Amino acid sequence: MSVKTNLPCRSDGTGGVRAWEIPTVRHPSLPVSSPRVTAPTLELVGLRKAFGDFVAVDDVSLTVPAGTIFGLLGPNGAGKSTTIRMIMDIIAPDRGEIRLAGRPRTRADLERIGYLPEERGLYRKMTVLDHLAFLGELHGLSHRDARERSTRWLERMEIADRAERKVEELSKGLAQKVQIAGTLLHEPEVVILDEPFSGLDPINQSLFKDLLAEYKSEGRTILFSTHVMEQAEKLCDHICLISRGRAILVGELAEIKREQGGNAYRLRAEGDLGRVREVPGVAEAVVHDDDGTARLFLADGADGARVLAELVGFLAVHDFHSEEPELAEIFVKAVHDAH
Amino acid sequence: MPTEPGHEPSPGEAIPGAAGGRGLGRRLERRLAKTAVLAKREYLSRVKTKGFWIGILVLPLLMAALFVGPALMISQARTSLDVVLVDGTGRLGEGIRERLSEAQDGSGPEAELDVTVVAPEPAAEAHRTELDRRLVAEEIDAWAWLDPARLEAEDEVEYHARSVSNTIAQRRIERAISAELREARLTDAGYDPEEVVRLTRDVELRTLKVSAEGARAERGEAGFMLAYGIFFLLYIVLLIWGQQVLQGVLEEKSSRVVEVIVSAARPFDLMLGKLLGIGGAAFTQFAVWIACLVVLTAPGLAASLATMPGGLDLPRITAAQAAYITLFFVLGFFVYSSMYAAVGSAFNSLQEAQNLSTIPTFSIIAPMFFLFPVINDPGSTLAVVASLVPLLSPILMPLRIAVEVPPAWQIWAAILLTAGFVLFMVWLCARIYRVGILMYGKKPTIRELVRWIRYA
Repeated sequence: MSVKTNLPCRSDGTGGVRAWEIPTVRHPSLPVSSPRVTAPTLELVGLRKAFGDFVAVDDVSLTVPAGTIFGLLGPNGAGKSTTIRMIMDIIAPDRGEIRLAGRPRTRADLERIGYLPEERGLYRKMTVLDHLAFLGELHGLSHRDARERSTRWLERMEIADRAERKVEELSKGLAQKVQIAGTLLHEPEVVILDEPFSGLDPINQSLFKDLLAEYKSEGRTILFSTHVMEQAEKLCDHICLISRGRAILVGELAEIKREQGGNAYRLRAEGDLGRVREVPGVAEAVVHDDDGTARLFLADGADGARVLAELVGFLAVHDFHSEEPELAEIFVKAVHDAH
Repeated sequence: MPTEPGHEPSPGEAIPGAAGGRGLGRRLERRLAKTAVLAKREYLSRVKTKGFWIGILVLPLLMAALFVGPALMISQARTSLDVVLVDGTGRLGEGIRERLSEAQDGSGPEAELDVTVVAPEPAAEAHRTELDRRLVAEEIDAWAWLDPARLEAEDEVEYHARSVSNTIAQRRIERAISAELREARLTDAGYDPEEVVRLTRDVELRTLKVSAEGARAERGEAGFMLAYGIFFLLYIVLLIWGQQVLQGVLEEKSSRVVEVIVSAARPFDLMLGKLLGIGGAAFTQFAVWIACLVVLTAPGLAASLATMPGGLDLPRITAAQAAYITLFFVLGFFVYSSMYAAVGSAFNSLQEAQNLSTIPTFSIIAPMFFLFPVINDPGSTLAVVASLVPLLSPILMPLRIAVEVPPAWQIWAAILLTAGFVLFMVWLCARIYRVGILMYGKKPTIRELVRWIRYA
C-alpha cells in the first residue's frame, strides 16, 4: 500500500497510447469474455469532496492493484458512493486525483470501466435487447457488435426469451440481470460496483459472485463497495475501510487479518467471564455468557501466554486459542481507534 | 462542437490541445459518436411508439375530415331537381330550359336541374292543385309558373318547392328566366341582344398602389403573413414537443438510469443528443403533416389556381429565401425547446418543473411584440438589433428576409448567434444537470441554481 501525499489537481495531458491499452486477444467463439486481460491499476490520491460544510470524502488514498477484487467498506453515509462517483466523473473532486495505469484517468477511460451505480435504473420503455445494445454503443461498441454481444449476454443470463420485451414488463429480478449485463457488456477491464448485492435476490447474488470470480480470473480489476462485511470477507483481496469520509484502514485483506489477528483470541471457560477485562494486557473483550465464550483483544505488545496464565487463576479454561478476527470486528476496532 | 466549457478540468482530464491535434480530433469524434448514439435512442424511442404514429395521423385525418367531409356531403346532396316550368308565355320556356341545362358541366356543387316545360291548362287552379299534389307526392321537386301578366306587372314568377332553402338553384332559375326574358324584350323592341351585350359591357379597375414605400408595404403584408405563419407553426410544434423535451430531460433522473449514462457520456453530449433526437422526431412528424397537407390540398389548389384570373399576387419567395426561412424554423425549434430543456435540467420530476414550464412558452411570444416595428422599418437599428437577438431572430429574421432582404452578413450573424445560443443553452443545461443529478428529492432555489452554474 503506497501512501501518497495530497497532490493539487493536476491536468497533465495524456497524449499517447495508454499503457493498458495493449490489444487483447479475444475469442469470438467464447460466449462473453476473453481469457486474459491486461487490466490497469486504479489509484486514488488524496481525494476530497465537501458538500457545503459537510466533508463527504476526506483525503482518501488507495490503490486497487490490477487483477484483484477490492472492497470499499463502511457503514451507510461513510462516503463510499461519493468516492465511486468521483471515480466515474459524475462529481468532480475538490482535491486529489484518480489515476489509471499510472496516468490521470480521462473521460475516454470511462468507456473501459463497467459501472453499476447504487441507484439502479433502466429506460422503462425500451426493449431489453435495444437497451443493452444502446449501452454497448454508448461505451464505444459498434452497432453490430453491441447487438451481438447483447444477444450473447441475454443467453448467458438465461433471459434470451425476453429480448423483445419492454424493460417495464420485467420482474425486479430480471431487470437486475439486464442491469448486470449492461454493466459488463462492453467487457470492461475495470469494474466498479456500488453496493452490488443490495437488492439482488439470492439467485442473482450467486450469479453475480460467479461473474466476479470469473472476471478476476481473467485479470480484470474489480472495485466494489458494501456495508455487509461478510460479503467482502469472502470476495475481496484488498479492502479499504471508510468511516466518516476517511480511509481508516487500507491494505491486503489477508495481511490486515494477520496483523489484527495476532492479538485476538477465543476463550472458552467456566467462571466469572466478566473479569477477563481486568486482566492486564486485555484491551477489549466481548463476552458471551450464554455459551461461556469470549473474544479477547490484547493490547499491542501483550503476550497471549501471559494472559492465559492470568486467566487460569480465576477461570476453568477449556480452550484458549489465537483466532483471526472477523472483518466486522476489525472494522469496529479500527473505527474506535481512528476517532 | 466545442469541448464542454462547463466541465472543469477534473483530475483525470487532459487539457485540450496538450495531446496534440490528433488527440483532440479523436476526442471530438468520440463525443460526436456518443451524441449520435444518444440522439438515435431519443429518436427511435419516440418514433417506435404507437402513440407517435397515432399522433401523426390524427391531425391529417382531422384535416381530411375537414376537407373531404363537406365535399362528400355536398356530392351526396347533389341530385337532380325535377322542375316543372309552366310556360304561360308560350315562347320563353324552351330557352330557359336550354339555359339551365347548358350551365351543367357536371362539376361543382350545383344540383342538376331537370326542367320539363308544359303549357298551362285552361283550368289554372286545378293545374296548380295538381302540381302541388305531385310536389307533395315527391314526383317533382319544384314548379314555376310563367304568367305573362304577372311578369309584366310585378316582375314575379311564382315558385313552389318542398324546400325553398336551395338558394343556389333558385338563383340559377331566376337568372335564366331573367336572361331569357330580357332577350325576348330586346328583340321585341327591335334591338339585337348580342349588340346590346357588347355595348353595355362593364369596365374593371386595374388597381395599382402607388406610394413612396408602396412596394415595401405590399411585401410587408406578405412578410407579416410569413412571420405569423412561422410563429404559429413553431408555437404548435413547441406546444406538442416542448413538454416532450422537458420530460425527456427528466427521464434519466426519474428512471434512475442517469448515473450510468453520465459516466459514459458527458451531460453536454446527453443534452445535445436529446435535443437533436427529440427535434428529429418532431420534424419527422412535421414533415409527414406537410406531406399530407400537400397531398390533400394539391388537387383543389391546382384546380383553383387554374380557374383563378391571372395576375394573382402570391408572395414570391426565391429558393434561397425559402432555404433561409426553413433554417430559421429549425433553429427556432432548438432555441425554444432548449428553454424547456433548461427547466427540465433543474428539477427531478415533472411536478416540480411544472411551475416554470410556462416560461419557455412566453419566450416564443416575445418576438411578436417586434413584428410591426420591423415591418414598418426593416432597416432600422431596432429591427437589425432585434433580429440578431437569438430568442427573437427565428421569427424576426425571416420577416426581414421576406420584406427587404437584409445584408448577408446580418443573416449569417443571426444564424451563428442563434446556433451559438442553442449550444450555450445546452452547456447551461448540462451544467445545471450535472449538479442537479445527485440532489434527489430536493427542489433547488434560484440562488442555488445560479451557484450550480457557477461552481458545477
